[in-house]
Amino acid sequence: MRLKLVLELLDVPGQLLDALNPIGRLGANIVAVIHQRDVKTERGTVPVQITIEGDKDTLNEVLNLIEETGIEIIEVDGILRKEKITTILVGNIVDQDLKDTVNLLNKIEGVMVADLDLKMSDHPEKSASRIVIEAQQGRKKEVLTKIKDIGNLKGFLVINEI
Amino acid sequence: MKICLMGFGSVGQGVARVFQMKRDEIKQEYGLDLDLVAALDRSGAAINPEGLDLKLLLETKKLTGKVSKYPEYGEEGVSGLEVLDRVEYNCLIEVTPTNIEDGEPALSHILKAMGDGKDVVTSNKGPLALKFSELARTARDNGVKFKYEASVGGAMPIINFAHETLSGCKIESIYGILNGTTNYILSRMAKEGSSYEQTLNEAQEMGIAETDPTQDVEGEDAACKVVILANSILKMDVTYVDVEVKGISQITPESISLAKKEGYLIKLIGEVSPDSLEVSPRLVKEGSPFAVEGTLNVATLKTDLADEVTVVGKGAGSIETASAILSDVISIWKTK
Repeated sequence: MRLKLVLELLDVPGQLLDALNPIGRLGANIVAVIHQRDVKTERGTVPVQITIEGDKDTLNEVLNLIEETGIEIIEVDGILRKEKITTILVGNIVDQDLKDTVNLLNKIEGVMVADLDLKMSDHPEKSASRIVIEAQQGRKKEVLTKIKDIGNLKGFLVINEI
Repeated sequence: MKICLMGFGSVGQGVARVFQMKRDEIKQEYGLDLDLVAALDRSGAAINPEGLDLKLLLETKKLTGKVSKYPEYGEEGVSGLEVLDRVEYNCLIEVTPTNIEDGEPALSHILKAMGDGKDVVTSNKGPLALKFSELARTARDNGVKFKYEASVGGAMPIINFAHETLSGCKIESIYGILNGTTNYILSRMAKEGSSYEQTLNEAQEMGIAETDPTQDVEGEDAACKVVILANSILKMDVTYVDVEVKGISQITPESISLAKKEGYLIKLIGEVSPDSLEVSPRLVKEGSPFAVEGTLNVATLKTDLADEVTVVGKGAGSIETASAILSDVISIWKTK
């Protein structure tokens, strides 16, 4: 069987090789590799499309091994493994310990803060920050509720996606 | 059809104007005679069993600010309940100002009319947001019609649309911009980069926001509409206190510009679903159906058969709101 993967690589030399290595080692075939360095994700990583071929067990092993080496698999056969959630917080962001806010978000299972943008106001209590979160597919609703809880805890206005 | 009109503010006068404009057309098309036999405002009432002269009524209001100054048939200080007792009518149109504390005086007007076997059309959110199930039950028990299309989204069709056009579909959730004033403020802030306070002032000067804008900007008005939609379309049994409400007064130009950078707009969204009743500022994608500007209202109904259906329309305005009231009156007439 064939699997079409989209991997997320750091834009540094040797990353592609690291990703391809386990595939050959486990006896799966590489059918195609599409690598466009100028297309970047939110975090500055490069998405790479790889089509591999092999029996089901081998392919599963390949997926595990790639993930073990720390390379993100974003998509498997067109199905996103992660989704991006954007949220905006308004309030005294800095006084309320920004690092702690990010930590609280990162503590939610399967969630990682991918991007953070801060805009200070003349009135510190009216500062705003936009946070982009990556979460496991299908957990959006739960994650949004948790973000709201964190906002309430810190006295922020939470502006979530619809 | 003999009609009693309670409330002669912006919506009430709109009803009188629309009746005046459409009277002949409606008579011809539906065989319906729109006869306004009583009109009431804070000052008292004008009552004429033979029908009031709409032009004279509107002029009197414009000149004196009081319907009770209506020549010959005007009565100062008479109460709504008294009028309903004395006048012979078929249908009550209740458009007194919304009161979300106790729903009065509209609640008593509506219950009395229903108890007396009269049909009721209203745009008044107070009684609906506080006592929906009681009103629906009273209407049923008395075998009268109860219609309230104008209470949500002004001219934007939604309640009758869901009940009639989408009948057979199960409505799973509704997301919408249900308040025109806040949508105007947020749209202007996004366009001009102005502060909330500045933009609110501008909206007040233009007559889009009220002198006391609390009901709009703190999300209370939208929350009433969420309750109405939840009860009437999603068949839930909820009231105002069940809605989680956050307004727009904390929205800053900074937050709007951060949203914009990522292709989002901030809108005050009402969410109606079995597991969440909420009014709060939310991020919506630029170019999505929710990216409407000005005082427009919009709602997306998620259904089991038709998937998503979106309606857009003017959320406020005297004539626009009166159009929804007129359509309710005509649909009641058609069932007779």
